[in-house]
Amino acid sequence: MSDQPSTLLSAFSRKAHAAHCKLCLSGLPASQIDVDGSRLALAFYCLGGLDLLGVLEEEISPRNREEWRTWLWTQHAKGKYGSGFRPGPFMTGRDPRISLQDPADYTNYDTPHLIMTYTALLSLAILRDDFSKLDRKGIIAFLRCCQRQDGSFSTVPGSNENDLRTLYCAFAISNMLDDWSGVDIPQAVAFLATCRTYEGGYGQSTFCEGQGGTTYTAIAALGLASAVTKKEYLTRSEKQVTIEWLLRNQDDSGGFRGRTGKEADACYCFWCGGSLKILGAESLVNSEALATYLSRCRFKYGGIAKAPGESPDPYHTYLSLAALSMYPPQVHDGNSTSETWKFGVLDPLLNAREETVAWIRSHVPDRKVHS
Amino acid sequence: MHGIRRVRQTQEERQASKRKELAKIEEFNALTQRILARKKGNDWSDEAFQLTTKLLQINPEFYTLWNYRRNILLKGKFPNSSPEQVHELLEDELSMTMTALKVRPKVYWIWNHRMWCLEHIPKGPASDGEPGADGWKQVVWNKELFVVEKMLDADSRNFQAWNYRRFVLASMPTPRSESSELAYTSKKIEANFSNFSAWHQRSKTLTSLWAQGKLDESKSREAEFELLRNAMYTDPNDQSVWMYHRWLVGTGGGKDVLEREISAIQELLDEQPDSKWCMESIVHYKRLLLNNYAKDVDTQHLTRDCKDLLERLETLDPMRRLRYRELAGEIGPSTS
Repeated sequence: MSDQPSTLLSAFSRKAHAAHCKLCLSGLPASQIDVDGSRLALAFYCLGGLDLLGVLEEEISPRNREEWRTWLWTQHAKGKYGSGFRPGPFMTGRDPRISLQDPADYTNYDTPHLIMTYTALLSLAILRDDFSKLDRKGIIAFLRCCQRQDGSFSTVPGSNENDLRTLYCAFAISNMLDDWSGVDIPQAVAFLATCRTYEGGYGQSTFCEGQGGTTYTAIAALGLASAVTKKEYLTRSEKQVTIEWLLRNQDDSGGFRGRTGKEADACYCFWCGGSLKILGAESLVNSEALATYLSRCRFKYGGIAKAPGESPDPYHTYLSLAALSMYPPQVHDGNSTSETWKFGVLDPLLNAREETVAWIRSHVPDRKVHS
Repeated sequence: MHGIRRVRQTQEERQASKRKELAKIEEFNALTQRILARKKGNDWSDEAFQLTTKLLQINPEFYTLWNYRRNILLKGKFPNSSPEQVHELLEDELSMTMTALKVRPKVYWIWNHRMWCLEHIPKGPASDGEPGADGWKQVVWNKELFVVEKMLDADSRNFQAWNYRRFVLASMPTPRSESSELAYTSKKIEANFSNFSAWHQRSKTLTSLWAQGKLDESKSREAEFELLRNAMYTDPNDQSVWMYHRWLVGTGGGKDVLEREISAIQELLDEQPDSKWCMESIVHYKRLLLNNYAKDVDTQHLTRDCKDLLERLETLDPMRRLRYRELAGEIGPSTS
């Protein structure tokens, strides 16, 4: 429902944005060194971007896709805490080209990282890996090692870094494996509830103020759990309060802010927009204003930035594409500009394109159990 | 791209640069391998410790090395040290992490190591049970509070800093009073009414003080309404103030408080007829009356008021037009 179709939007330069993703996959300048610690997350944003643009196969050769699948599997780690994926090669000090020939030299301290395990699984699905190497039991064991007494999940076993992001990742991994034996759902949901604020948002942990990103992880986690337990975790009134808080986060620019009193940022268009979609309130979003805001965040030479006039990066590029997949602008059909603004359907619970989710459904769960 | 200026280089310069980088990477990888081998061998020596310092300076995200470093302290250094020596070692760690944070302020693992150090400061300088036993601890925790306050001065919306602040306050051997925390939030709010993080902290502090009976809840609530009245009149467009008001109304007082606040906001609306927040809040509170006190209020009148305001809001706040329309449909049967 909208007043004015976005006839004023210029064509969405799909090639330029795809080029940005490809470029970032091959290398980043020294100014981005902070991201080296999360290389697997970075890979996901780039691959996800290409997937949402629908150009993965045409832009990336089969040989490259094979190399990347292999590279992802070299980040796999197995040990006393189960199996999963590490953030990147810096943790072993080995030239990744050499480790390809070694059989895995997995040690106790090469612990996997929960968030990186989630992004690795999605990245492999995007690259259409057959998951024959997947150690399902190991991953379930890893989830168990990460869940703490209060129900939350730490990023690595035994660490204090625990918040709703890791909880969401644990739930998403369980959903992908179609196996929830690694997670104590009631305990996790109890922790999640302590993160809810009176505004209706969810903070990173208990006592924190409500924030868009963690609100998404909470709402999506509850959605994933509901599908399995068949329980409704939020009352109608709680949903309404959350929907109102989320809607209030759309500011005059058309973009969404992450917290009360902050500026709009492209990534919150996904975090808040995705939450609203899961809650069934997407028709209440001013999607034209949203699309207009994101179109202004485009960088002239490709990629999408957090705000108009800023530099682009894979994280904001991917999340903007994900937001546009859920809230495409209305454009007059038939002309070439309108075609550029068409996107595939996104599954907001797993944050992946429908086709990729279909691949996950048919390849990730243990077939012996599910056939 | 990414704000890096291109510097023209000759082919030779580029190759030399590349060789240098590759050498650095090889050195880093070799160093990593050496350390990991020592860790595998349970090497708790000072040599190993120095190696972790070197690598962590290059890559503080290498979380297993922070683990290893703590193990070296626990199994290698602490067992042979007096409490004074342990204290000194930990002060060095605090110094080292402070330097690292200045360069990479957002790396969780550095903060995590810092928290571990703070928690391991031993009793001293006096022995356990004597006055002064918490002396060392009190000093470091006070310093830490000072560090957090500096961070909040630099960015008062840094929610991780607010979270860390709560951690520090909860960990101090001689806790600061919650009333002083209330005063801290006042200070932050007075500096900037839109500091929602400060209002949020205030709501948490008050809830705690009321639950413990340390403050008379109804008197305190009245004082907060006064504070808010000021803030609303100073800047009726500030979302933080209205959200806090909503929290405050939700803490109790019933029908009387609702009606009184609706009146007060109506007065402001009369002066500022385009104030979206006044309208939105009046609708919110009138809905609360309709939902919770239906038998004691004029439901027809209230319903009509809400619908009128929602219609005006569709024009005044078009971004949320669809939500206002949906709400109008939900509020009781139409009486027109």
